[in-house]
Amino acid sequence: MLTAAASRRLVTGALLVPTVAFLAVAFVVPVGILLKLSLTEPAGPLSTYADILGSWVYTRVFRNTIVLGLMVTAIAVLLGYPTAYMLTRLKGFALTLAVYGVLFPLWISVLIRTFAWILLLEKHGPVNRMLVGTGILDAPAAFLFSNTGVLIGMVHVLLPYAILPIYANMLRIDSRLMLASDGLGASPWRTFRRVYLPLSMPGVGTGAVFVFLLSLGFFITPALLGGANNMTVAMLIENLVNDRLAWPLAAAASFLLLAAVLALLAVTARFVKLDTALEAR
Amino acid sequence: MRWRPLLFRLAVHGFGSAVLAALLLPILAVVPASLNYGSFISLPPETWSTRWYGRFFADREWLTSLVTSFQVAAIATVVSVVFGTAAALGLIRVGRRLRAALTGLILAPLIVPVIVTAVALYYTSRSWGLTGTVTGLAMAHVLMCLPFVVLNVGVSLGGLDPNWIRAAEGLGASPARVFMTVTLPTILPGLFGGAVFSLMTSFDEVVMSIFLAGIQAKTLPVKMWEVVRLEFTPILSVASTLLIGLTVVMFVLFRLAAARTAAGTETRP
Repeated sequence: MLTAAASRRLVTGALLVPTVAFLAVAFVVPVGILLKLSLTEPAGPLSTYADILGSWVYTRVFRNTIVLGLMVTAIAVLLGYPTAYMLTRLKGFALTLAVYGVLFPLWISVLIRTFAWILLLEKHGPVNRMLVGTGILDAPAAFLFSNTGVLIGMVHVLLPYAILPIYANMLRIDSRLMLASDGLGASPWRTFRRVYLPLSMPGVGTGAVFVFLLSLGFFITPALLGGANNMTVAMLIENLVNDRLAWPLAAAASFLLLAAVLALLAVTARFVKLDTALEAR
Repeated sequence: MRWRPLLFRLAVHGFGSAVLAALLLPILAVVPASLNYGSFISLPPETWSTRWYGRFFADREWLTSLVTSFQVAAIATVVSVVFGTAAALGLIRVGRRLRAALTGLILAPLIVPVIVTAVALYYTSRSWGLTGTVTGLAMAHVLMCLPFVVLNVGVSLGGLDPNWIRAAEGLGASPARVFMTVTLPTILPGLFGGAVFSLMTSFDEVVMSIFLAGIQAKTLPVKMWEVVRLEFTPILSVASTLLIGLTVVMFVLFRLAAARTAAGTETRP
């Protein structure tokens, strides 16, 4: 006969084992095998990493990805901050509608959102027709297969990840602090700069880290909207696997990408609340 | 209210509304694009027609991919819900440190870039004979669905008062009966929300699917990915519109479940 404590432990184990075993077999082992592959080249354990970091072509892809990510992050935060502020001023039905407006795009496949931008940004598409029609442009611009197209597409996909943490943070700001600042004679601009902005910075930080982290691994959007010069690390990995069959190099590039993500998470762990953004959906 | 004058409010609401419109409206461009008559997409269509919907449902490859998507999503959802619900129930029974470690493991597939997981799975599943199979694809999708089931069920477990369980046990109910009559009704909205979210996550997943689908198990997004790289045909807009329609239904179902979860957690003293 089992004691009560032992049978309780047995039930706990039975509840957790399927998930842990599944993740071990379907996730930890495959990632481990890929790591081993990147480390067991005949030329030496770290030769694949040296190949990638020593090649001007490959490092340029990494640099491009980081620069693109920083630009997307900056634009997403600049667009997201006032939008999040507007959400804090809304009530009732308007608030529900606006929040759903931020959440719903997250449910739409990245592939569809990117395809929609192809239709809109085409040479003879609506965006170009509008810009030429209103006289802003003299001739249709080549948005597709360029930096501009990738930027527009990626900001569109990642913007909700900037808005949601900033909004969550702004909701926690005590509005009496602004009244106090106001009462003490500060100008609206000074109140914003000295009181509201610093208090909303944790949200901005979380949103920025989130957008940047996700942008580092982007594949579909840059692959469809970008040109030959817009290769990201994810596209490089795909290219190494499918076109060049250079598995060890692809594995090394994968772990350099993963290392960058983990390093950024470790540095920002103090103020980034991962769960806020995960539960957002 | 002096520090927030009218002009400022107008500017904020104008800017915010424009951003929200820019988030939503571009997605809807695929709907009129699907109603073109010609083989090239023009927006708005020069001649409106539903003939590409007919083409979609008459095309064996597109239909097969739709069926494959449903199969993969169904398997991935059932596995995620069963494993994820059990895991969420298990997590509240262990100590803080083990719980943190296991939660980290469950969330890890969302933190590791999908391209890395995709390449790792592609490499190993080739030797395990799982590429190009519905099972292999579904297992890969479970990695992305499971965390949301665990999170959703976890949230609704917050509405479960341990005293109810003790009361049921004290009255002589077996563990199975306690689960069926106390635990399950409480977590049902969270479980349902997790299931809906899993279904949609699996249905939308592209990156892992591109690597693992092979020729035999192309899902709808994989088929779309292959076609979009060759030509911009209205049939792509048809596929997109159908997927958006499915997403709207799933989104509404999820919001309803979320509202039930919130109501459940609020009733707890």
